[in-house]
Amino acid sequence: MCVGVPMQLVEINYPSGIAEAKGVKREIGLQLMPEHVLAVGDHVIVHVGYAIEKVDRKLADEIWETLDEVLQLMDEEENSA
Amino acid sequence: MKTTQNILKHIRSLVPADRKVRIMNVCGSHEHTIAFSGMRTLLPESLEIIPGPGCPVCVCPESDIINAISLSTRDDVILVTYGDMLRVPSKEGSIRSRGRNYRMITSPSEAVALARSNPDKKIVFFSIGFETTTAPTAAILETGVPDNLFILSSHRLTPTIMEVLVKDQEIGIDGFIAPGHVSAIVGANAWNVFSEQYGIPTVVAGFEAESLMLGITEILIQLKRGMASTGNVYAGVVRPEGNVQARAIMDRYFEVADVNWRGIGHIPASGLELRDAHAMKDARKVFGLPEIKESHIPGCLCGTIVLGKAYPSACGLFKKACTPKTPKGPCMVSMEGSCNIWFKAGSA
Repeated sequence: MCVGVPMQLVEINYPSGIAEAKGVKREIGLQLMPEHVLAVGDHVIVHVGYAIEKVDRKLADEIWETLDEVLQLMDEEENSA
Repeated sequence: MKTTQNILKHIRSLVPADRKVRIMNVCGSHEHTIAFSGMRTLLPESLEIIPGPGCPVCVCPESDIINAISLSTRDDVILVTYGDMLRVPSKEGSIRSRGRNYRMITSPSEAVALARSNPDKKIVFFSIGFETTTAPTAAILETGVPDNLFILSSHRLTPTIMEVLVKDQEIGIDGFIAPGHVSAIVGANAWNVFSEQYGIPTVVAGFEAESLMLGITEILIQLKRGMASTGNVYAGVVRPEGNVQARAIMDRYFEVADVNWRGIGHIPASGLELRDAHAMKDARKVFGLPEIKESHIPGCLCGTIVLGKAYPSACGLFKKACTPKTPKGPCMVSMEGSCNIWFKAGSA
């Protein structure tokens, strides 16, 4: 539940926006961050649908490497359930 | 790999030969990385990495779960909550086994959408979690929610439970690895209390094995030098002051309360409830929910494990009667529960 997912902002309609990760776009909430610090193209950590902090591209990629492993395990669990 | 090997070499050289060093992590995702990377098998035996209270599902009081089940059986209510909560056992069963009108959500915004599309129903959002999850719940209240949406708050405060652990001499913590995304909200400075008041080095770490090992290294260096401060090896995400705007929004809707932790008991000033000004949104008040006495699950060590006083492998039910498919206690249900993680990792 505390897993934060890095996503890239592709559209901002503050206090919401559209963010993308792994080719999937979803609407996210932006009101936990000041409007003036956000720009299209920024990477943000998204937690239960809300951006909680900005992150640079390199770290976003590194976090995804770890997340990919977690997601694979979740898939395996779902398939075995 | 070379970097990892170098960090490991450094860690080995820093661990004192004459005593145990006990470092606690307080985040299910940290424990996940530690268990699945096999990190413990590579570290010196005298260095213990203890999983602590990093699983909000595990500490959610049984009373709240029973109340949630009860609410979901009302014809005029739809109960919504995060997926893990649906399967957590109580003496009345789980929401999934005993509830009637319930839905899983992955974001508080889905609760708002459901309330809008079901104006003739009362939507109760069973909102649980530490600071990272409280903030998004506060965000929907800040934006404005329909009159038919109510919050059953079971939010808990990470620094408070960590302070309880520090004061418990039985555990004996030498250092903390602070949770990455909780820290993004509360700020690295929130952990200063541990170095300044208790002399315990505390380092914020990210979720990769390398980041965690760097955090462990920094703690060991501080211990060797006889100093204690707050470190941050996840500075790309966590700022010293944290997310000030998120905390301001949380503070507008939530106030600190004395609450129960499952398997642990009553802890003063360790949870968040809606402020009186928002009582009309508070499911406890609107529906007059009772406080139900917690039962003990026979043989289950979840409460002891959450406190870092026992490893999952010390529980007689672990991997026998209690598995992810047949969970007896909350620590086996949640993806962030130590028992669930240790079961899936095969070892720790």
